[in-house]
Amino acid sequence: MENTLLELRGVTKRFGEATALAETSLSIHEGSFVAIVGPSGCGKSTLFNVIAGLLAPDGGEVRLQGEPVTGATGHVGYMLQKDLLVPWRTVEDNITMAARLTRRVNNVDRAEARRVATEYGLGDFLRHYPRALSGGMRQRVAFMRTLVTHQPLLLLDEPFGALDAQTRLDMQQWLLQVWRDTGRTVLFITHDVDESLFLSDRVLVMSPRPGRVVADITNPLARPRDMETLTDPAFIELKSRIMHLLHGGAS
Amino acid sequence: MTRKLLRNIGVPVLSLLLLLALWQAIVVGFNVAPYVAPRPWQAILSVTQNWSTIWPLALGTIRETVYGFLIGAFLGVFLGVVMAKIPVLQRSVYPVLVLSQAVPIIALASPLVLILGFSIMPKIVIVAWIVFFPVTVNVVDGLSHVDPDLINLARVYGAPRWRTFVHIEMPATTTPLFSGLKIGATYAVTGAVIGELAASEGSSLALYQEHANSNLNAAAVYGTTMVMTAIGISWFLLVVATEVAATPWQRRSVARRYPWRRARFETDGAASIVSSLSKGES
Ligand SMILES: Nc1ncnc2c1ncn2[C@@H]1O[C@H](COP(=O)(O)OP(=O)(O)O)[C@@H](O)[C@H]1O
Ligand SMILES: [Mg+2]
Repeated sequence: MENTLLELRGVTKRFGEATALAETSLSIHEGSFVAIVGPSGCGKSTLFNVIAGLLAPDGGEVRLQGEPVTGATGHVGYMLQKDLLVPWRTVEDNITMAARLTRRVNNVDRAEARRVATEYGLGDFLRHYPRALSGGMRQRVAFMRTLVTHQPLLLLDEPFGALDAQTRLDMQQWLLQVWRDTGRTVLFITHDVDESLFLSDRVLVMSPRPGRVVADITNPLARPRDMETLTDPAFIELKSRIMHLLHGGAS
Repeated sequence: MTRKLLRNIGVPVLSLLLLLALWQAIVVGFNVAPYVAPRPWQAILSVTQNWSTIWPLALGTIRETVYGFLIGAFLGVFLGVVMAKIPVLQRSVYPVLVLSQAVPIIALASPLVLILGFSIMPKIVIVAWIVFFPVTVNVVDGLSHVDPDLINLARVYGAPRWRTFVHIEMPATTTPLFSGLKIGATYAVTGAVIGELAASEGSSLALYQEHANSNLNAAAVYGTTMVMTAIGISWFLLVVATEVAATPWQRRSVARRYPWRRARFETDGAASIVSSLSKGES
């Protein structure tokens, strides 16, 4: 469990005059669930885009499993708040989208898409078009599409941000189950402190102007987590600490 | 199902009948002379009575319309894709294309006949000339409005550009593409008729109408117009039907069960049983 999966060394990114990401160094352990919280505009998505290779950093290096991948693509699973399902494909064909975009889709891909969908509660919707699905179901399909890429590192950028509170809670528990089953490493952006604590082993707090990581907090809350966790004194204490960091109260 | 059919076919047919009734009412009400404007039934009768003459001519017009439309559609898609992908071409070629549409098509028809002769060629060229433009404009528009996040997602997967184009950009452009094709389809017949008029020799639907006009045979003139319109509407409907068939996701919630995929879905049943069993154990 102590193997480093992802490492950032002195990564910086500017947009013109503005520094979206000040020098950032990070190391993420294999199999961990790391949450990133911060107000909007503090460079969270920029950080993901640099890791995924969509943006080339102005300085520094990104390493995955020891290999330099700075500015390259094709090595992470990435999911956004927008589900980005294509309306002209069925659920099954949306799940196999990554395969379709890189090579021919084969029966193994299709079988896996069906297995994953069935296992995580969408087995009856394989031939549905996305328009027939609810917001929560769409996000689950988007997550399965990310999962079947077999990338060890999953970047999730506010994936539940657009869902209502109840669906969101269901999705959080669902995500934890999938994470436990598959042993992937997850980086999870949210601006919801409760969500970050409920899900993660570790919380990175970011701050804007310039965008940077201001605190790296270990989350010791016991798993499995449930409704009780949200009222645990340790939870409350961590929450108030992060709130102070986010809202400028000197700590 | 029958209710939907009634609404989709019954209502348009009804409005068509109302139009004919209005025509009848005006002609009778204002007591218009038959050589100025015929009664609807006279126009229809002139078509049915001369069907053996009109049908081969109509077939010629259909041929010009269809060939011209297909060439124009392919050319339109090609130009649209090329211009959307190569910004330099968009800046240099787009103005030329706009210019091509600003030229009055009638002024273009006679020189085309002069160049290409009294064959089907000038008519096809005119139809294609009219059809390609709305297609190109819509394809360029559609391709430049594909959600950039969707394209970024493809990049994250490490997708080569041509696969992104085939599996994301082109399908995302179907709706504007068909808008262009539908506009093209409505104008295609007009192009064919203009071509036929410009060629003063040979036999064609447009010249048949000219002839009827000089003989003061208003019933035949109106009848021929009805035939031309019918060709235009039929072609438009065929394009709409193609769109409906090509975009099931816009109306259906669940995909049709394709015969070549049946085997796969049957194995799925077994897979879900196995998986629900293993879930029951844990
Ligand atoms: N492509 C871009 N061009 C210019 N500025 C950008 C671009 N992407 C992000 N920014 C800016 O960088 C900063 C950080 O953005 P982002 O990483 O999206 O923040 P977050 O995801 O934390 O809300 C913001 O001020 C934003 O306006
Ligand atoms: Mg963001």
